[in-house]
Amino acid sequence: MLSIKNLHASVEGKEILKGINLEIKPGEVHAIMGPNGSGKSTLSQVLAGNDAYEVTSGEILFNGEDLLALETEERAREGIFLAFQYPVEIPGVSNLQFLRTAVNAMRKHQGQEEMNAAEFMKLARQVSKQVDLNPDFLKRGVNEGFSGGEKKRNEVMQALLLQPKLAILDETDSGLDIDALKVASDGVNALRSDDRAILMVTHYQRLLNYIVPDQVHVLAGGRIIKSGGRELALELEEKGYGWLGVKDEDEAQVAG
Amino acid sequence: MKPAPTLSSAFLTPTGQSLPQPLLDLRAQRGTALTDMPLPTRKTENWKYSSRYLQLTEALAGTLPAAGKSGSALAVSGYHVVFHNGIMVPEASDYPDVDGIEIKRFADLDDDEARELAERLDNTLDAEAVQLARLNSARFEDGLLIRLAPNAVLDQPLFVISETDAHCSGSAYPRIYLDAGRHSQITVVEEYISHGDEPAMVNAVTEFTLADGAQVTNVRLSAEGENVQHIGATGVRQGAHSRFDSHCVGFGGPMRRHDLQVRLEQSGANCRLNGVVVTQGKQHYDNHTVIEHVAPHCESEETYRNIAADQSHAVFNGRIHIHQDAQKSNANMSNKNLLLSTGAEIDTKPELEIYADDVKCAHGATIGQLDETSIFYLVSRGIDRRNARTLLTMAFINELISQIPVESVRATAQARLNHFIDQTFTEA
Repeated sequence: MLSIKNLHASVEGKEILKGINLEIKPGEVHAIMGPNGSGKSTLSQVLAGNDAYEVTSGEILFNGEDLLALETEERAREGIFLAFQYPVEIPGVSNLQFLRTAVNAMRKHQGQEEMNAAEFMKLARQVSKQVDLNPDFLKRGVNEGFSGGEKKRNEVMQALLLQPKLAILDETDSGLDIDALKVASDGVNALRSDDRAILMVTHYQRLLNYIVPDQVHVLAGGRIIKSGGRELALELEEKGYGWLGVKDEDEAQVAG
Repeated sequence: MKPAPTLSSAFLTPTGQSLPQPLLDLRAQRGTALTDMPLPTRKTENWKYSSRYLQLTEALAGTLPAAGKSGSALAVSGYHVVFHNGIMVPEASDYPDVDGIEIKRFADLDDDEARELAERLDNTLDAEAVQLARLNSARFEDGLLIRLAPNAVLDQPLFVISETDAHCSGSAYPRIYLDAGRHSQITVVEEYISHGDEPAMVNAVTEFTLADGAQVTNVRLSAEGENVQHIGATGVRQGAHSRFDSHCVGFGGPMRRHDLQVRLEQSGANCRLNGVVVTQGKQHYDNHTVIEHVAPHCESEETYRNIAADQSHAVFNGRIHIHQDAQKSNANMSNKNLLLSTGAEIDTKPELEIYADDVKCAHGATIGQLDETSIFYLVSRGIDRRNARTLLTMAFINELISQIPVESVRATAQARLNHFIDQTFTEA
């Protein structure tokens, strides 16, 4: 489904990704772990098409198609979804309006009829319950005044509504207490299916207790320096990133 | 040194003589006072950003003829009074005859009523500050007097529609005077529209006096054509515990100016002033507001938003003046501005003058562009860029539009905003 080959990317002239190779097949759940500054978020942003990041070489194929040739919105319509590490607050645009516009953009692309306000409201209420968000939040501005946990659950809710082929979760666990983490994880697990892949980007392994990955990759210095199964994450938790010869400013918290 | 240009004397000659004598006298007197009035230049502080848009050519001096009928296909349900080139059209108007509420055109006043009105006209406005709007008093041909007896309540909004018919060149001088008695309530919607393509100028003055406890809501929609210059002023004087709510929605034009002056003269008076302006192409719009906190324990809340696209130019100047005796005043002013292109210009100037020491007074002004991070967030959900920009642009003013208390005005404003958006974001 996703095939990344020798990907180099830089931001403001500084090279962050220095040759990433990654293969993800339908149905798989991959976790990318790494210390701060290793390039985890850059990889997510590049996949979603943020043009603040410049791809200097390499290629990304998504279902055989050249992903880098597509605009951000086209990638989304092809099934790429990024759950933001820092979801944006947009006062003045209601969540409901935002979500419905997004869902209808997707439906239009797939040749389906757009949903009217009443139909969508019904669906949105249903899905908001799934991530334990009070339906009242639909009337509020996008992420406006939401707690960190509410923002992350809103991201998961969007994934549930948009039903992507590849969901990229960028630090979806950060800022969540244990209850919120369970709710968000249940939402993500509900997305798991044979024709969908999930790429989790995280600093800590605790998320992986709830969303069990098929593969774990360690990203450091802009490269994947080690890949393995679930046990690799546990090993990291025990030994820290230093074990792999990697410096981490948050070393002390790795086990957190 | 070259002498400053002055207002052509041609502008000081009214056409019609069908007003009651006291009003004709007032008009003549005001005209005399304006002889050789210097026109604003860019050295005139409160016209600094706008004088270059002003084109008071002789061709505009003549009064636009009253056709005596409404030329537009307005479908206003509810109470309405239609003015055509500044003259009321009774056949096109429909308003109730309610005890305690008097709605009369100036031309129909008897001499006593006219004398009383003549004494009160212009009392709400600082003549020096409004400058060109003073011309209205030298030129009005008709006008609307609304008087509410104590406790009178008009059950629906009253629309006052000022149509400018610019099939030939000239000017119009719509005038409204409203006197709200103690604890009376009314909503007045002013709509300024035009048809015809010849250069024209509208010089409109509206005045409100609110007795103790009166509640007046004023919605003002300025949406004349590209051939029409608009110079307008609204003056408000408020008694104790009165409330004045203003919602101004303005669409740019070759020259647009609105002065809004509110005096909080008795304890407990409060006002809320909301304003939305959008400009595009080479359009211009200038809002100047003044809130005078004269008495203690008064509140003012002002929120203005400007959006300028293309090579257009929007101006906001908001002055709050807290007098020495106005202790415990609470004043809030916010002006946010959105530039949609690099060629657009917005000038904003909050002015606070505070002479009392126990007051709460806050102000803020910002100028920015659409936030790229927000656009990325929206397009990353499959929303196309044009839609993303539209959502964010509307988000900037949605709150103010939704506060307009008259549904049909919200709909009209929204339709015009959609048109603005269509023209501004042309890419697919």
